[in-house]
Amino acid sequence: MFPGAIADREVADYVIVGAPLDISTSFQPGTRFGPNRIRRFAESFDDYDRRTDQFFTDLRVHDAGDIRAWDDAPEYSEWLAGSVRDAVWDDAVPLILGGEHTVTAAGVTGVEPDVFVCLDAHLDLRREYDGNEWSHATITRRVLDKLDVDEAIILGARTGSPEEWERAESDDVTVVEPEAVADWNPDFDDESVYLSADIDAADPAFAPGTGTKEPFGLTSREMRDVVRAVAPYTDGFDVVEVNDRDDGQAASLAAKLLREFVFSHAATDD
Amino acid sequence: MAKEQKQVRELQEGSYVMMEEKPCKIYAYSTAKPGKHGSAKARVEARGVFDDKKRSLSQPVDAKVWVPIIERKQGQVVSVTGEDAQIMDLETYQTFTMLIPDDEDLNPEDEIEYLEYEGQRKIV
Repeated sequence: MFPGAIADREVADYVIVGAPLDISTSFQPGTRFGPNRIRRFAESFDDYDRRTDQFFTDLRVHDAGDIRAWDDAPEYSEWLAGSVRDAVWDDAVPLILGGEHTVTAAGVTGVEPDVFVCLDAHLDLRREYDGNEWSHATITRRVLDKLDVDEAIILGARTGSPEEWERAESDDVTVVEPEAVADWNPDFDDESVYLSADIDAADPAFAPGTGTKEPFGLTSREMRDVVRAVAPYTDGFDVVEVNDRDDGQAASLAAKLLREFVFSHAATDD
Repeated sequence: MAKEQKQVRELQEGSYVMMEEKPCKIYAYSTAKPGKHGSAKARVEARGVFDDKKRSLSQPVDAKVWVPIIERKQGQVVSVTGEDAQIMDLETYQTFTMLIPDDEDLNPEDEIEYLEYEGQRKIV
C-alpha cells in the first residue's frame, strides 16, 4: 500500500492504481518494478504537509493495488482503463503508478480529458517505434490522434525525430523546452486536464532510475512546481517510467510528485 | 423470477445482466489474463435498461451472475398526451401508459416495440 493511502475504496477521493507494464521499454527495462518501488520510497515522508497545512492520511486516498500486467498492450490498456473509469464514476481522481508510459493511454481513456499536460524528456509523438504503435515512445501521439484529446502540452521535452518535431508544430501541440518550464504557467478555463509525469523529464542526475535517460533535464523542484500549478485543474494523474536501476532517487521523486499532486488538488477543493 | 443464472464468461456486449438488482445492457466487456496465481477476470460495463445509470462489475470469469429475461413486445400507439403515450399491446390488447423517449415522435396508430421486465416498460 502507498504509505498513508488508508481510505476505503467506497469513500475515497483519490484512487491509486499500480500499472507495472514493462513490454516496450526500449533501453533499460524494469518499469514492472516501478509501482512497488514508488510505494517503498514513499515510506520515509512525513504525513504532514506544511505548505498546505494538510495531513496525507486525511485526504481519503485509497490504494487499489496493482493491476497485473501481461504482454498485450491494447488488451491491458482496455482493462486498466476500466479500473480508471470506476474511480471516475465514483467521483474520485485516479492516480496511476507506472509502468511504462504506455499505461497513460488507459488513464486518458478512463478520464476523457480535453487537455493532456505531460512532463517528458521525449516528444513521444512517433506514430510507431520499432514497428509498434503501442510503444511507450508513441503515447502523446496516441492521446492526440486516437483518444480525442484537443490539445497536448509537453513540458521539458528536449529530443525527438524530425517527424515528431514536425507533428509538434501543429496547433494542437505546445512544447515547452526545459529552459522555459520555470516560467510556464497553466492557462485553463473549464477544460478537463489530465497530467502525466514521465520521470525522465527530470535530469538523470535527479532520477537515474528510468529506461531512457536524457540529460539537460528539469530539476526536481521544477517538476514539483508544474505539478503544483496544474493539479487544481486536473481530473487524472499518473507518474510513469520509474524502474529499479538506481538507489531510489527516481522512485522517491515519483512518490513525492504524487503526494504534491494530492496536497495541491485537495487544497484547491477546500 | 424472470431471470436466469449464467457465468460471467458467457456475457457479451449487447446482452443483459443484473447489476445492483437492476437489469442492465452490456456495452463493454474486457478480460484480464490470469498469471500464475488467481483466475482470469472479466470486467463488464453496462447501462441500466430502465434507469440509464452506468454500472460496472469485475469478477472471475467463472463467477455466476443473474441475467434478466427481458421480453421484447409489439405495441400500437392509441393516443399521445404530452410526454406520455397510451400503448396497446398487439398480442394481449392490454393498454398502458409509457413515457415517450426524447428522440421519438409518436402519433396514434404508430406501431412500436417495447421492452418489458417485471412490470417495467420502455419504448425502443
